[in-house]
Amino acid sequence: MRVVVAEDLYLLRDGMVRLIEAYGHEVVATATTGTGTLDALRTWRPDVSVVDVRMPPTQSDEGLRAVLAARRELPGLPVLILSQHVEQLYARELLADGAGGIGYFLKESVFDADQFIDALERVAGGGTALDPAVIAKLLSRGSSSRRLDRLTERERAVLGLMAEGLSNQAVAQRLFLSESAISKHTTSIFGKLGITDDDNTNRRVLAVLTYLNNP
Amino acid sequence: MRQPGSWVTSVRVGFARACVVLVVVMLVPAVWAAAVTLWLWWGGNPWSWVAPFLWAGLGTFALSRPVCRIVRSLVARWTGTAIPAGYREPGPVIQLSTGYWWNGHSYERTARDAHRDQRWRTRWHDPATWRDLRFTAIAPLTAGVLAAVPPAGLAVAVLGFGGPAFGGLAFGGLAFGQGGSAAVLVGVLGLVVAVAAAPHAWRPLEPVAARFLRPSPAMALADRVDELTAQRADVTVAQAAEIRRIERDLHDGAQARLVALGLSLATAEKLMDAHPDRAKALLREARAGAATSLTELRDLVRGISPPVLTERGLVDALRALALDSPLDTSVHADLRTRLEPPIEAAVYFAVAELLTNAVKHADADRARISLTRHDAGLVVEVEDDGRGGARVRAGGGLAGLRRRLAVFDGTCGITSPPGGPTRVTMVVPCASW
Repeated sequence: MRVVVAEDLYLLRDGMVRLIEAYGHEVVATATTGTGTLDALRTWRPDVSVVDVRMPPTQSDEGLRAVLAARRELPGLPVLILSQHVEQLYARELLADGAGGIGYFLKESVFDADQFIDALERVAGGGTALDPAVIAKLLSRGSSSRRLDRLTERERAVLGLMAEGLSNQAVAQRLFLSESAISKHTTSIFGKLGITDDDNTNRRVLAVLTYLNNP
Repeated sequence: MRQPGSWVTSVRVGFARACVVLVVVMLVPAVWAAAVTLWLWWGGNPWSWVAPFLWAGLGTFALSRPVCRIVRSLVARWTGTAIPAGYREPGPVIQLSTGYWWNGHSYERTARDAHRDQRWRTRWHDPATWRDLRFTAIAPLTAGVLAAVPPAGLAVAVLGFGGPAFGGLAFGGLAFGQGGSAAVLVGVLGLVVAVAAAPHAWRPLEPVAARFLRPSPAMALADRVDELTAQRADVTVAQAAEIRRIERDLHDGAQARLVALGLSLATAEKLMDAHPDRAKALLREARAGAATSLTELRDLVRGISPPVLTERGLVDALRALALDSPLDTSVHADLRTRLEPPIEAAVYFAVAELLTNAVKHADADRARISLTRHDAGLVVEVEDDGRGGARVRAGGGLAGLRRRLAVFDGTCGITSPPGGPTRVTMVVPCASW
């Protein structure tokens, strides 16, 4: 894969480049500012990029804004956002275009290199990968999440892991269930959330989006 | 030409108000009149001046404040002019470790003595007391005299029409010629004066009260300085406490964890060759420790200043807060510019606290946050559908909130009837409009 890394802190940027290259991917460009990020994304159209939310010179959400701008020009451009903190608000903005290919994780997710690279590859493949911290907040919302009330406890757990971007096989491993049980649960979730069968490729992304956009 | 009905009403109302003004401002002169009567009555006694003197002095001192309070409330009710009282509040009385009580000036055996001593000190040193006394001396000669016109006119009229004998007695000097007819003429004049003066006679009370009861600019300034001094002390104490909390959190949390992390890594390095399994377990532990200390640091940072507030400003930070709240929370904002960072932070933490209260104490399901620009500044309203009954208690969360807003001259009004809903309106003046 061709990867762009946008991160203003030298140590983190350097570490991430080394990690990504150690897994046999190519880092084609790095960026340290919001405008630099937008330029790199436009020029290189990478298979996937890793972008920090907060960047100089304003130290505000320049990275995030660069990603949103780039995805308006190049719909579905896969981006994994790595941030010091995760906000539901940002996750909603990123997912709002419904195109998939979005990941949003805490920076410490790089601690588990295998999982990080796995998430990066899933995002490159057009999937979603959200941090468990965001998922937990989404699923714990009270009376407002009426659509979600229809799901059983087990189905919520499955949806949560699905939103993190895991495959049925991986979800089955985490929950100590058989893969066929998981696929039964996912079918039931799609049914309850009103996601039809014709769009096979993106149903898992849609399940998360449906909840995000229709609380 | 106005309608006769409204004219009659204004005469009636004016007459009643003039009578009220007369009674209120004449209370102190009445005390003096009583003292003079007492003195005349005890005329022969060589010590006779003492009792009337005491009577008049104490009476004036005791009556001046209630009279002024009544005047302020009358003026506010009749004309809408609010005249700030500016009385000094007595400070706190605390019990010392010796068991005695200290009120800031004197050291008393019981709390009651300490309070009484403090009340007298506050009253004696309060410039408002002297302002009140000055007003009670001036008011009878100005507003009092004018307010006396309609009742006096009516009295003259009653005496004039009261019959020739009665009238002749009253206006003996005038009753030349045909006896009663002059008295009737005087009575008619009195009635005309009473009716013509009634709608206007009470009005001088407002300018007189506004001139003599309002705190002078110097007094207002002194009060403002006191207020700011107290606020500065509050802020300093709060800041110091905040710094101590951050220092303690860093020292006990992240720092200790990083030391443990270093130890684990050093041990793992040592074990790497001989016991690779144990080394691997240690490395896993170290990774978990690093993740935990990051979480702790993140919470700490959020407590100092929420990152989304820094990155996006108040409105989006409140939206993020609403998303994270278990309540069904809506945010309405009419605000395009960024505010000063300290104001943004104060408003953010105030709203966060109110939402937490709504969840914890009010048992609410829904909340509404609205931000509007107003001439007075930024108006933030937070309303929940909980059970209400929220009150500002000394040392409580709402009192702290009010104090934090006061630093920016902000105010915080709370309506929370039992059964709800609770609505909190915060107004923060902003120079940057």
